[in-house]
Amino acid sequence: MRKGRSWIEGLLALPLVLPPTVLGYYLLVGLGGKSFFGIPLVFSFTGILIASLIVNLPFAIQPIQRAFESIQPEILESAQVSGLSNWQIFRLIELPLAWRGITSAAVLTFAHTLGEFGVILMVGGAIPGETKTVSIAIYDKVQSFDTTGAGLLSLILLGTSLVAIALSYGVFGRHPSPPKRWEV
Amino acid sequence: MLKVKISQAIPNPLQLNIECTPGELHALVGPSGSGKTTALRTIAGLNNAHTGKIECDGQLWFEATEIGGVEVSLSPAERSCGFIFQQYALFPHLTALENVCIPLYNSLPEVSERKQLAQQWLERMGIGELANRMPSQLSGGQQQRVALARALARTPKILLLDEPFSAIDAPTRQSLYKTLAALRKDLNIPILLVTHDLREADLLADRITVIDQGVGLQTAPPQVLFERPRNSRVAELVGINNKFEGIFTAGKLTWNGCQQIFNVVDKGKIPPNTPVAWVITAEGLSLNADKSTLSVEVIVEQLSTLGQIAVIQLRTLEGGHAVVWEASAAEVKRLSLKVGEIAHLEIDSGKIHIMPLRPINDPRRFREAS
Repeated sequence: MRKGRSWIEGLLALPLVLPPTVLGYYLLVGLGGKSFFGIPLVFSFTGILIASLIVNLPFAIQPIQRAFESIQPEILESAQVSGLSNWQIFRLIELPLAWRGITSAAVLTFAHTLGEFGVILMVGGAIPGETKTVSIAIYDKVQSFDTTGAGLLSLILLGTSLVAIALSYGVFGRHPSPPKRWEV
Repeated sequence: MLKVKISQAIPNPLQLNIECTPGELHALVGPSGSGKTTALRTIAGLNNAHTGKIECDGQLWFEATEIGGVEVSLSPAERSCGFIFQQYALFPHLTALENVCIPLYNSLPEVSERKQLAQQWLERMGIGELANRMPSQLSGGQQQRVALARALARTPKILLLDEPFSAIDAPTRQSLYKTLAALRKDLNIPILLVTHDLREADLLADRITVIDQGVGLQTAPPQVLFERPRNSRVAELVGINNKFEGIFTAGKLTWNGCQQIFNVVDKGKIPPNTPVAWVITAEGLSLNADKSTLSVEVIVEQLSTLGQIAVIQLRTLEGGHAVVWEASAAEVKRLSLKVGEIAHLEIDSGKIHIMPLRPINDPRRFREAS
């Protein structure tokens, strides 16, 4: 059981260490020729969405997992002896307590996805208006000596990343609270 | 009525047979790692025992046999017990009031009803005005009161307290003792208290079960436990100072190394020439300046006066046994006791309690058997 869990955890963390082009290559080969509800996966927005999801999985899973693990077992036991069902414990106790980890994972993953380059290029192929992301556009602009355009786009990405990191570190004061606080 | 009969060898040895009647406060006392908390958690359903049976208020909560395995095991949520943790275990993201609302979540569908009842419980615990504070804004004692309100809000069938006062400072502890004493009159449910503090158990409990290495050694009212411990290990665990060894033959007890022979009545269970341990309570000892036929010569080794109470360390001239005598400061003054002087210790043989050296319920025997 423990061994199986380690394998799954290792597999999910693989994109952290795998070169993006290698991952992109396998995704290109793996998704090639397949479609999702009639939309071809390679060289399409859906394709880069799926690819980004796989690449960014470890960035989301690890902080969320840590957030759930850091809840003291006694807290969950006291919820059990208070008569809550497992689902109620998850909804009323675990989710609100892990919320900070979940939001910070979401923000960081968002920022990381914006800057994704290698995998997107391999799977998406930089089709203008379809799969050309900001980071690919910056690269293209530099290639064509448009430094003003590249600088402007870089500034946008820098600003977005800064806001994201500030949000996740709680620079703006309060940490984001659950969207609707469940009444207990 | 709570009836618990559980037994297991791993992961922690446990062999316990206790009953607790409604309104009774039953303390489980033992050193750290003796299995007290494991026992409590097993009753609450947070652990399962290997074999045994737990019944509460006529309802079967747990049953497992060697052959059939676990046959009945209600989940902690189904067992209806209030559980108080040592470190309070309040939900840190909820206010004191919301913490107390949690156990009412399934029984009262209306939020306003839940809040109203929770507020009543907080007021009953004397912390009604702290309802909107977060746990981090409460002191240890206040947190434990919230935890008590939370445990009782569900109107549980039993209340289980796992070292509830150990993390709380002494003055607050006293006021919590009073709250608990007042509550148990109204609640009329079995209350089990786990503690390593004998004084606390003596103060609060109707009966005490002494646990060592997972085995319940003796269950008795505090007074009986201190006067007549079942065996040498119990005497040691309940901290009896004056515990000695001797040989017992047909009503006569010889103190090792002394001439003095005491006439002691026992139930006739001890065979002749048996090495025994014996204890004597403070009331059975008196110190005199003059010699008498029953007295033993002692030397005063240490004398410490703490307010009105004096603790005197004595050593018998024959046998060299250390004896602790507690008396009032006035008594010490009357006898004009001084360190290094000889006095005469009289032992009331009627207050002597003898017991086998090897506990009948020895945990080692349990380990060998399993």
